[in-house]
Amino acid sequence: MGSEFVLFVSAAIFSIGALGFVIRKNPLVMFMSVELMLNAVNFLLIGYSSFLNSLDGQIFALIIMTVAAAEVVVGLAIILTIFRTRHELDVDRINTLKG
Amino acid sequence: MYSLSWLILLLPLAGFLGLSWFGKRFPKLLGGWFACAMVGGAFLVTLLMLAQLYSESPADRLNHVQTLYPWIVSEGFSLNLSILIDPLSVFMLLIVTGVGALIHVYSIGYMHHDKEFTRFFAYLNLFIFAMSVLVLAADFFFLIVGWALVGLASYLLIGFWTEKKSAVLAARKAFVMNVIGDVGMVIAAFMIFEHFGSLNYVDVFKAAPTAFFPNDDSILLITFLLLVGAFAKSAQIPLHTWLPDAMEGPTPVSALIHAATMVTAGVYLVARCNALFTMAPFTMYLIAAVGVMTAIFAGSVGMVQYDIKRVIAYSTMSQIGFMFLAVGVGVFSIGMFHLMTHAFFKALLFLAAGSVIHGMADEQDIRKMGGLRYAMPITFITFLIGSLALAGFPMTAGFFSKEEIVMSAYNAQYGNIVFWGMAIIAVAMTGFYTFRLFFYTFMGKSRTPEAKPHESPLVMTAPLMVLAGLSLVGGFLGPWVHEFLSPVFGGTFVDHHDDAMMEIIAVAAAFSGILAAVAIYMTGKDQLAFAKQMLAPIYEALFNKYYIDEIYDFLIVKPVKGIGKFMEERAEKLGIDFSIDEIGRQVREVSRGISIWQSGKVRIYALNMVAGMVTILLFVIFM
Repeated sequence: MGSEFVLFVSAAIFSIGALGFVIRKNPLVMFMSVELMLNAVNFLLIGYSSFLNSLDGQIFALIIMTVAAAEVVVGLAIILTIFRTRHELDVDRINTLKG
Repeated sequence: MYSLSWLILLLPLAGFLGLSWFGKRFPKLLGGWFACAMVGGAFLVTLLMLAQLYSESPADRLNHVQTLYPWIVSEGFSLNLSILIDPLSVFMLLIVTGVGALIHVYSIGYMHHDKEFTRFFAYLNLFIFAMSVLVLAADFFFLIVGWALVGLASYLLIGFWTEKKSAVLAARKAFVMNVIGDVGMVIAAFMIFEHFGSLNYVDVFKAAPTAFFPNDDSILLITFLLLVGAFAKSAQIPLHTWLPDAMEGPTPVSALIHAATMVTAGVYLVARCNALFTMAPFTMYLIAAVGVMTAIFAGSVGMVQYDIKRVIAYSTMSQIGFMFLAVGVGVFSIGMFHLMTHAFFKALLFLAAGSVIHGMADEQDIRKMGGLRYAMPITFITFLIGSLALAGFPMTAGFFSKEEIVMSAYNAQYGNIVFWGMAIIAVAMTGFYTFRLFFYTFMGKSRTPEAKPHESPLVMTAPLMVLAGLSLVGGFLGPWVHEFLSPVFGGTFVDHHDDAMMEIIAVAAAFSGILAAVAIYMTGKDQLAFAKQMLAPIYEALFNKYYIDEIYDFLIVKPVKGIGKFMEERAEKLGIDFSIDEIGRQVREVSRGISIWQSGKVRIYALNMVAGMVTILLFVIFM
């Protein structure tokens, strides 16, 4: 298993995440896509941590997971509140903050 | 003892602040008497200063400067809050606080019915404080401070009845006219500092005789600018139009500010700066000429007015013209002497007129009065004494001071026969308008039978009686005044009474004026109508005050308004407003273009982010 494999898998997962983030309308799914992207980065960090015999990458990955968890808490709370007030979850129609 | 001099400033200031802050809590009359006590206290302290001056030899009486507080201290310039005690300032203060205290007492009766009684007394005390600052200042800076403060007090008191539109307009007019003078004073102070490096009287006056050649350009300019201030404050041509209008204020105010004290500040200024003015003989001629012209001008207008207070106001302008004539021809102490006697009899006349107005239920038109001698005996007698003193009847106060002025108009250093002749005319006019007013008001029969005139209470008549006494005996103080003030005016006083013929002519002029009034107004209406018809054009001009107000309106007010209208319609609407609006419009257009990007659609934001990311990536890889 070479480093190219890690790179390709990571890039593939990241692209899927980015694509999903752009094309999906449901904020919940968009959220999952964001997680996908973050985890693609995590995957890359851990893989290279192993290749380079350094713990730095794993520490970074842990920090990213912490940040992601915190972000999910806030994000889900927002999505829940939006759903409660508007009874819909289509991001194209949640556009009251336009200039 | 001089160290107590700050009390003269503090007492009226304390009265003003006390009445302003706690006035509503004072019982009404207590507030009035409190204000009187403050001014009376200041008068007593001034007497103390007088006694102290007398304990010294005449030469040592000058330049007692009390520094209260070093205010600005810097390299090359320092400004102290200091008080100058010398014969001139004490003399002036005796008038200000003495006559001021009497008028305060009178006001208790006059303003009794006014609902803003304490506010009136607070302003009166403010005025006494301001006038004390003006007189006690030891440098030009605090002179200007006092100068502006009396202008403020005058403004507040003229417009005291704020619900009366004419009063408010008159107050504004007085303020604007006075500010013209203030500007002159300030520029003069700048120039004095430039030439002498100091604003202190002591330094400036000591250096003045050697700093300039007589009639130097700079000394002419300095004295001329000082004169602008003096003429504005003292209502001399051409800055006189505010004074008759100032009669809209309560009558005690007219007596205190616009007769006895503030309007004479210009004379005081010239006398105080005599060291500067004597270096500019040309300015001296100008002062004398303007003074005597104002005396004739105001006297002639006063002869045909029908408002009791306006007649006295024109008379005040005329008498101040006499004072300027005196200081202009170089006899400063005679000018100050007339200032004093004028303060007595003019305050008396105003207060008596106030008593008449009070008794006639606020009627000021003399055509509706007449026959008041029975209803108001005390006012009648005191008004008669004041009129005699003003007209210069022998042995009254005005006789001595005016005779001296008329004589020195010819004899004194800058005097000449023209000034003398004009002064004689003005003296005759004085006699005429004074007794015209007197006959209209007190003699003959009542012209409004339904009016119920009544004598004023003792609190008003007592000051009248004191002032009447002073108007009778004040003239005999002349030698004392000249001797007392002579150190200030450099040396001994020279008496110019030497030409008996001219003196007789002057007395005859005064009598002819009085007799003319008797002839026209005591004997019947026919001569009056005849005279009016014969002199109709002149009469019209006089009645309309030579159309000065209209001329100013045409020359200054209308053009300024026109420029303002042009600026509003053209410069502002088409220039300023348009360009500002255009900037705003353009900013809004640009913003609208940019705000498309903020669509509120999360997916477009996301797409933009990805696109940006890809762009950076491509940039990093291929560059």
